Amino acid sequence: MTSACYHCALPVPAGSRFTAMILGERRELCCPGCQAVAEAIVAGGLQHYYQHRSEASANPDTLPVQLLDELALYDRADVQKPFVRHDGDLAEITLLMEGISCAACGWLIEKHLRRLPAVAEARLNLSNHRLHLRWADGQVPLSRLLSELRHIGYAAHPYQADRAAEQRAGENRLALRRLGVAGLLWFQAMMATMATWPQFNVDLSPELHVILRWVAMFLTTPIVFYSCAPFFKGAMRDVRTRHLTMDLSVSLAIGGAYLAGIWTAITGTGELYFDAVGMFALFLLAGRYLERRARERTAAATAQLVNLLPVSCLRLDSEDQSERVLLTELALGDRVLVQPGAVLPADGVILEGQSSIDESLLTGEYLPQPRQVGDGVTAGTLNVDGALIVHVRALGHDTQLSAIVRLLERAQAEKPRLAQLADRAAQWFLLGSLMAAAVIGLLWWQLDASRAFWIVLAMLVATCPCALSLATPTALTAATGTLHSLGLLLTRGHVLEGLNQIDTVIFDKTGTLTEGRLTLNAIRPLGELNSDQCLGLAAALENRSEHPIARAFGRAPLPATDVRSAAGQGLEGRVGERLLRIGQPAYVCELSGCPPPATPEQTGQWLLLGDRSGALAWFVLDDRLRSDAPALLAACKARGWRTLLLSGDSSPMVASVAAALGIDEARGSLRPDDKLQVLQRLHAQGRKVLMLGDGVNDVPVLAAADISVAMGSATDLAKTSADAVLLNNRLDALVQAFSLARRTRRVIIENLLWAGLYNGLMLPFAALGWITPLWAAVGMSVSSLTVVLNALRLTRLPSASVKPLAKPPVAGLSRAGLE
Amino acid sequence: MPALYIMIPAALLLVGAAIYLFFWAVDSGQYDDLDGPAHSVLFDDQDANHLAAIDEANPPQQPPREPPHA
Repeated sequence: MTSACYHCALPVPAGSRFTAMILGERRELCCPGCQAVAEAIVAGGLQHYYQHRSEASANPDTLPVQLLDELALYDRADVQKPFVRHDGDLAEITLLMEGISCAACGWLIEKHLRRLPAVAEARLNLSNHRLHLRWADGQVPLSRLLSELRHIGYAAHPYQADRAAEQRAGENRLALRRLGVAGLLWFQAMMATMATWPQFNVDLSPELHVILRWVAMFLTTPIVFYSCAPFFKGAMRDVRTRHLTMDLSVSLAIGGAYLAGIWTAITGTGELYFDAVGMFALFLLAGRYLERRARERTAAATAQLVNLLPVSCLRLDSEDQSERVLLTELALGDRVLVQPGAVLPADGVILEGQSSIDESLLTGEYLPQPRQVGDGVTAGTLNVDGALIVHVRALGHDTQLSAIVRLLERAQAEKPRLAQLADRAAQWFLLGSLMAAAVIGLLWWQLDASRAFWIVLAMLVATCPCALSLATPTALTAATGTLHSLGLLLTRGHVLEGLNQIDTVIFDKTGTLTEGRLTLNAIRPLGELNSDQCLGLAAALENRSEHPIARAFGRAPLPATDVRSAAGQGLEGRVGERLLRIGQPAYVCELSGCPPPATPEQTGQWLLLGDRSGALAWFVLDDRLRSDAPALLAACKARGWRTLLLSGDSSPMVASVAAALGIDEARGSLRPDDKLQVLQRLHAQGRKVLMLGDGVNDVPVLAAADISVAMGSATDLAKTSADAVLLNNRLDALVQAFSLARRTRRVIIENLLWAGLYNGLMLPFAALGWITPLWAAVGMSVSSLTVVLNALRLTRLPSASVKPLAKPPVAGLSRAGLE
Repeated sequence: MPALYIMIPAALLLVGAAIYLFFWAVDSGQYDDLDGPAHSVLFDDQDANHLAAIDEANPPQQPPREPPHA
């Protein structure tokens, strides 16, 4: 019986001794990290944070390790120079925050910092997790502020906007201004135009009629030339590349209506279409702005590649004295000391020491690989066991990590054209209405040449705005919002439409179909102690270790003393009076002098626990399948898709995972460029590919696949190169996305049909003069409303149609019952 | 409708001022974070200054003080 930690909501181990007084009650906490953070928050008088928050806080252990001497580096003037601005006594900095889970975190951070006497301003931007800080750096050093943030459970890194980020911010503001100009001017243009309509025109003098026409033109001109500039640019590009997209028809409709309006304004004959231009522009720009904001959310954490490498490292001088330096100060030929648990800062060769290296991020190998003197190591991998001295051979752009990033750039350039052909239904509708307008225009040219232009324009204006500006964007926006609440964040517009064209799915193994970390699979007792007792002893030892394996054992009920680690061998320590060892069989059996028992025949990492009298138990650690992976595979099968498993892992686990899930084809030990080749071969066969992955080694394939989805736990690089991110790592959100994509497609087609039918029926009557503009306006509003309401059906979650395949609903599905 | 001769320029001036204000707001970063401020308003209910202000507005019934002894 375990309860959830009051701070981070992870399970509290039995017999935990960590508690804190929060909001007048003694609360159970899971670990000393949470306890320290909770006590710091309470001590700062900010315990209301726990009432405000809507999500559990981040566990402090999951944040990157920030060493005290590394923080001190940030106080050096030369280090501060790129990201600290000075303004009199005050210094100004932007920090990128980690560990923010909900809006209350912003409140906590701002309150806590503003309480410090030296801080003049602290403002957190919740959408991109950037903290803007102004403080008197003469009184308080930067490192103190960083460690204050650390105390309340957040990690902060100095943020330096790169050019791409600055450009994106500028584009965002420009898009918002365009939207605002279109909106503000449209209201005015509409009022001026409406006054000229016969229904409202009670006693308008001819002079005023002229003035109103010119005013409307004056107001519409900025909308066309400022707000709609991107449409015209897009149309020019489409004409050059010979692609039919929405930009072209939008430009035709806006340009045509605007020119017709000018003609009317000058001559006083014909219809005034300025209000249609404004409405059309506003709806389209609003749709694009919403899409852009959704995309921004993921691009927010943009430190990218830098996050894979440590900020600083320990350099050894000629007398073997270690000194902490920034990564940028490191030069080729230096010797660096890499402590266990630290990330390798550069490619190099091991000079001293032996250890095992966790390369899962780069290669997909899920077990740490043993490395010794003379072996090469790569930047961005994790040193697990022992201290290493590494001779630096390659830095920055020359490392293997950067080579993968370059592969990513190439892959992005080769991304197939699915994105541009996104909305096929609209394409056909568009082509149809353009053709019909041309045919009818020709007909009228024969019958009555003077009316032909007005009829064609009426058709273009009447069909385009409603159908194109509302039918597709409302459906896509509604569906995108629904998926976001399910935990799938779409970052590029073509995903929903493209999901209907997919016929092949590529999965990565480590971290995608599996949990991506070692978990305890089984315990086999060998002596008189039972599994639980053995686990307690092993956990006591492992709790004193920084090794990633140690986490698999959970929290220990007993304390261990005198724990020493032998690099690459295991741990030794005392629990009560008992001297124990855990690790490699040979090392453990040294203690008792017994011969080591035979390693069982099963994949995974086997650890032996023993004491002075002999071996006690085997522990097998393995990477576990995600519980919702079978449901995802079943959903793929139900749609008749081909499934592939491409992994960098060379272990037999690739085959066993594929067999367990019934994947059509599985291949192991692939390098990133091998994966890309497999994808290119699939593309050559004309297949449309969905890729699901998380590691850096998947990044090129993610960038090149027709649609790519990254796990929420993936590296930032993988997230930014993917089209969608599974925020909560729940694969069943993807299953629901599949069915939602179908419904979206259906709703878009319904909307287009409805709008097209309505406009098609109205047009002949309007042309014959049977329908007055007032009734046309009422009818138009009803038709638009129908389209929007139809699209809003997508905000309801998928009903039971996919449920027989999927697992029982986890959370957030209760609303499905409303349907 | 001579009123329109004044109303139309007034409307144009107003919309010009509105656009100028909007551009200023966008450039000063007021639209950069659309999530945070929506929540922070709610949290300020527990703000110490806010609570102090409430207390000041509704002073609690103080027990009558004893007169100082000489």
